[in-house]
Amino acid sequence: MNAMLRETESATAPLAVRGLVHRYDGCNALDGVDLVLEPGSVLGLVGRNGAGKSTLIRVMLGLLEPRAGEARVFGEPALTLSDAAKARIAYVPQQPEALAWLSARQMLDFVGRFYPRWDKVFAKHMLERWQIPENKLLAKLSPGERQRVDLIRALASQPELLVLDEPAAALDPVARRELLREVALRAGDAGTTVLFSTHIVSDLERAASEVAFLHQGRLLFRCGVDDTKERYARLWLPARMSAAAPAQSLSRHRHDDGSLSLVVERDSRGCWPEAAELAGARIDALGLEDLFVEIAG
Amino acid sequence: MDASLLNIQPAASEPIYRQIAEQLRRLIAGGQLVPGELLPSVREVAAFHAINPMTVSRAYGIAESEGLLERLRGKGMTVAATRLANRTEHQRLALLEPQLQALARHVGELELPAEPVLRRLTKLLGE
Repeated sequence: MNAMLRETESATAPLAVRGLVHRYDGCNALDGVDLVLEPGSVLGLVGRNGAGKSTLIRVMLGLLEPRAGEARVFGEPALTLSDAAKARIAYVPQQPEALAWLSARQMLDFVGRFYPRWDKVFAKHMLERWQIPENKLLAKLSPGERQRVDLIRALASQPELLVLDEPAAALDPVARRELLREVALRAGDAGTTVLFSTHIVSDLERAASEVAFLHQGRLLFRCGVDDTKERYARLWLPARMSAAAPAQSLSRHRHDDGSLSLVVERDSRGCWPEAAELAGARIDALGLEDLFVEIAG
Repeated sequence: MDASLLNIQPAASEPIYRQIAEQLRRLIAGGQLVPGELLPSVREVAAFHAINPMTVSRAYGIAESEGLLERLRGKGMTVAATRLANRTEHQRLALLEPQLQALARHVGELELPAEPVLRRLTKLLGE
């Protein structure tokens, strides 16, 4: 029954991958990743540098063939996407390189013809707003400017699926806030599905509806942003009680004085592990950044 | 009410929807928002703070279920006309729940038994 349910889900989902495995030079970049994005969701993908975020994104979109597993976009195999499916997607890589011999304005005029819902007014407005020298060749722009042009291209095409790889790196705080606003409102108004990778966790906390945490090629967890904050916490136990620590925890650090910090999860009834009730034990609510550091640090 | 009246801290351990719901409770309890006052739409709040609209709807939904807000047809969300005294004891007690839970947690951390805390609290409430 479950398998059938999954079949139907991934048959229509904007993005769905199962059992992805990929290696570079014998190192596991992806080590069995399953992930389905529901329409209209905004998924923030977090992980340390080298966790496999860009690899995962590239495999999901069919830009890289995995060693094992399958990736589907709108139900089609990612490696053999139809033009119709491609027209519904916009992807902004970390370092865009395409059409470098054109100026920003020429490039946007050119690619705009291929998108049925191209928003010309928006593209023009954003070029000014994000201070892009529109007549300079793309090859001559700084990496940050180049990625901003690509973000404008992606947003102006009004895609159904928007995939952004580390978009925050190229933007100052004002432009970042503007991008997040676009992402959040498009998800709300047009039901745009968004996947973005980032290591700036507060961005994710604003705009994302869900967070997926990639660590050493595996998804450690995937959860609603609000639920994550309510479901996980740090349990601190003084040295004399460390024997009472629950066997199950997402991370475990022993401090110099023998005390223990663990990331623990509420059970199905919403209760923390029993050790949290012991006198002297402490439960600390965590923001996503602290949670991320506790687990990956 | 203007969306800028809300103060959002995305990095806090308290989820954003709870921050909004809590601020609405306080603004209404403190009289900064008066019965009948129109709230900004979900989209306005989401746009101003660059947050996910679902988060704002969730907060509004909570405030509505607590009787703080009222959805008026064709107008949007407004501050409910009901006065504090008209709310059931259960609804008013629910407003205190976060503080009560925080207190219970502190008591546990300080390894205090319940009796002296309850005695002190009873005294404070009697004053």
